Amino acid sequence: MPPKKRIFQRKRVCRFCTDKEVTIDYKDPKTLRNFVTERGKIIPRRIYGTCASHQRQLCEAIKRARQIALLPYSGTTQR
Amino acid sequence: MRRYETIYILRPTLSEEEITAVIDNANTIIATDGGQVISLDQWGMKTLAYLIQKETQGYYVYCDYATSPANVSEMERKFRIDESVMKYMTVKLEDSIDSDGIAAARGEYEAAVIAAAEAEEEASRQEAEQAETKEAAPKKEATDKESVQ
Repeated sequence: MPPKKRIFQRKRVCRFCTDKEVTIDYKDPKTLRNFVTERGKIIPRRIYGTCASHQRQLCEAIKRARQIALLPYSGTTQR
Repeated sequence: MRRYETIYILRPTLSEEEITAVIDNANTIIATDGGQVISLDQWGMKTLAYLIQKETQGYYVYCDYATSPANVSEMERKFRIDESVMKYMTVKLEDSIDSDGIAAARGEYEAAVIAAAEAEEEASRQEAEQAETKEAAPKKEATDKESVQ
């Protein structure tokens, strides 16, 4: 039987749970930009460890921001 | 009455009068049957994240208001007809709001505006102070050099 692989894991805490001042708002693209890749994809929560409810809110906010052209659907913005 | 917020993007080529005309039209539709505007923010010209109707920039207008659902659909219908509106998005904030709620929301908005203005003032004051200290610093250096010579 092969030895169990040990994967390094750091305990991650949801950023929105720890810091109450950071709010999720689709009108605030500066904050949302931290949670999308350079290409504009939403970063999965296994990377940042956002809790499920906040990830859902975040997802909604990013999609709304995309609708109103505050965030790109794909690709980087020309800025 | 429900509370909504709408963001609409206007063409960057519009003159100021045309912009105010579009906003006034939207507000009159909101105001029919006792609707009320809670806050209106003109975010101004912004770079779009992607092209909309071959434009790279757009004039953003944000409006927070309480009105009936029929008025919203009417306003959106007008937006679709209007060539100067490139895109719009409406989000429902509250299912029902009464006049007390509207007054409270308005008060909140005004408080936020005052707080923002104060923060800006504070920032500019700090900047000015920093500039003063910077100005003072090189003078000192100059005197030091003189003494060395």
